[in-house]
Amino acid sequence: MALFSAFRPVFSSHSLPVYDFLAPSLFQIHRAPRSIRHLSTTPQRHTLSNFQNDSPSTAPRTPKTGTEATSNPASTSKPLTQAQRDFLSRALRVNQTGELAAVLIYAAQTPVIVASHPHLRPLMKHMYDQEAGHFVTWNALLSRHRVRPTALYPVWTMAATVLGWGTAVMGREAAMACTEAVETVIGGHYNEQVGGLLEIFKEMEAEGVEVGEDLRVLVESVRRIRDEELEHLDHALENDAQKAVPHELLTGVIRAGCRGAIWVSERV
Amino acid sequence: MATKTRILLAPRKLKLPSSLRTYHSHNHPAPPGPFTPVESTILSASAPHIPTHGFTLTTLSLGAKDAGYIDASTNLFPRGAFALVQWHLYTQRMALQHHTGIISPEVRDGGRAPGVGSKVKMLTWERLMGNREVVHRWQEALALMALPSNIPPSVGELGALSDEIWYLSGDTSVDSSWYTKRASLSSIYAASELFMTTDKSDGYKETRAFMDRRFGDVQAVGSAVGSLGQWVGFNARSGLNVLRSKGARI
Repeated sequence: MALFSAFRPVFSSHSLPVYDFLAPSLFQIHRAPRSIRHLSTTPQRHTLSNFQNDSPSTAPRTPKTGTEATSNPASTSKPLTQAQRDFLSRALRVNQTGELAAVLIYAAQTPVIVASHPHLRPLMKHMYDQEAGHFVTWNALLSRHRVRPTALYPVWTMAATVLGWGTAVMGREAAMACTEAVETVIGGHYNEQVGGLLEIFKEMEAEGVEVGEDLRVLVESVRRIRDEELEHLDHALENDAQKAVPHELLTGVIRAGCRGAIWVSERV
Repeated sequence: MATKTRILLAPRKLKLPSSLRTYHSHNHPAPPGPFTPVESTILSASAPHIPTHGFTLTTLSLGAKDAGYIDASTNLFPRGAFALVQWHLYTQRMALQHHTGIISPEVRDGGRAPGVGSKVKMLTWERLMGNREVVHRWQEALALMALPSNIPPSVGELGALSDEIWYLSGDTSVDSSWYTKRASLSSIYAASELFMTTDKSDGYKETRAFMDRRFGDVQAVGSAVGSLGQWVGFNARSGLNVLRSKGARI
């Protein structure tokens, strides 16, 4: 893990804002060489344990009055606006739902795929482990920030299991096409979210409000998870996702379904 | 006085607590509560009058007088006496976080820290005890809350209360049980609160027993549903694996 973290200083909180969301997978500076790509970069409790230990950010601090500084030294002066809080709670909710679905899709695909293609076992396990790590991350952030989970939790559970199992029964190519379609939508969605978060940062800095540590950790988590999702997309393409029959129809339907699910779970 | 009156003449709609359950930041201060500073001053001055004058406009104007405003400043509250009810609910809910002895108790060597369930029970009881001063007038408040236009904020406040209790107790579940937990606690709390209005026993022993029975019922139902789910899941998975072992490609 120490070796791997050496590749990631680009994403430390000191370099914000980096507009890397404009070109996610073209520049691969942050990625480790292929030999260690199968390491999961999602430690189970990473985000929570680091909240307190992170070195103080070097962002320009707004001057505080004496009473303010003594009563609340480490915090920032202004509450988040209603719009910002709505955006954040929607974002966290939809991310948790997405990772729930991803975990279930891989869990349902794995036994079927591995039974007929045993060489895919490490890959499936790797992708499943990463998704499980993401799910833990979002669960922790949801309960930390008191965001309610989606009300349609059982519906998404059922839908994701059926989708994973169904595509796995259709064969390896279809399963990989499912991964391709899902990760395309999810990668794009995380990208938009990074954009939205940086927009919020800009608003706050324009008002002279210091961006809290929580938000910096959040944008880092979104970036890291997005890159791992796009890595799954590469794996799917390497494993003949494009050879699925009928590829266009299958990926089109799944992509539309994912977009609909994102739209709904942001709201409900 | 002139500026004071001018502030008072601009009617402000009381905000609903519906916006409370969005992103809660640990770095940024919490957004201001649903009451403006003037409203808070009048309402907190009115609160001591509730036991004698009830949840009425009389209490509100007495409070306004005590706080140094004119009697007519009750016009500030478009919902009238219901603002007193909301104030009571809001302040009592906010007071829960100060029960640090329950929320983060000191554990002696060899002792076991109380679990989430017992913390929920203790906090619910503390909240019921928050009604002790006004319980003989509480039926007036219940009547106000039952008016059709007041139902949404009242239900929202009840939901916010059970969310607060679960959060303070350290519950971290973020799946469907998030909803069932809050719904069952809300129903327990509402029933116990209603029971308390007619309880004449010493130290509200009857209410305590009633609340404990309700918690017991919910736990029994919850564990029955959980066991049923586990049984169904186990059998479904076993059946699937039997078919797989027979060579079916599923």
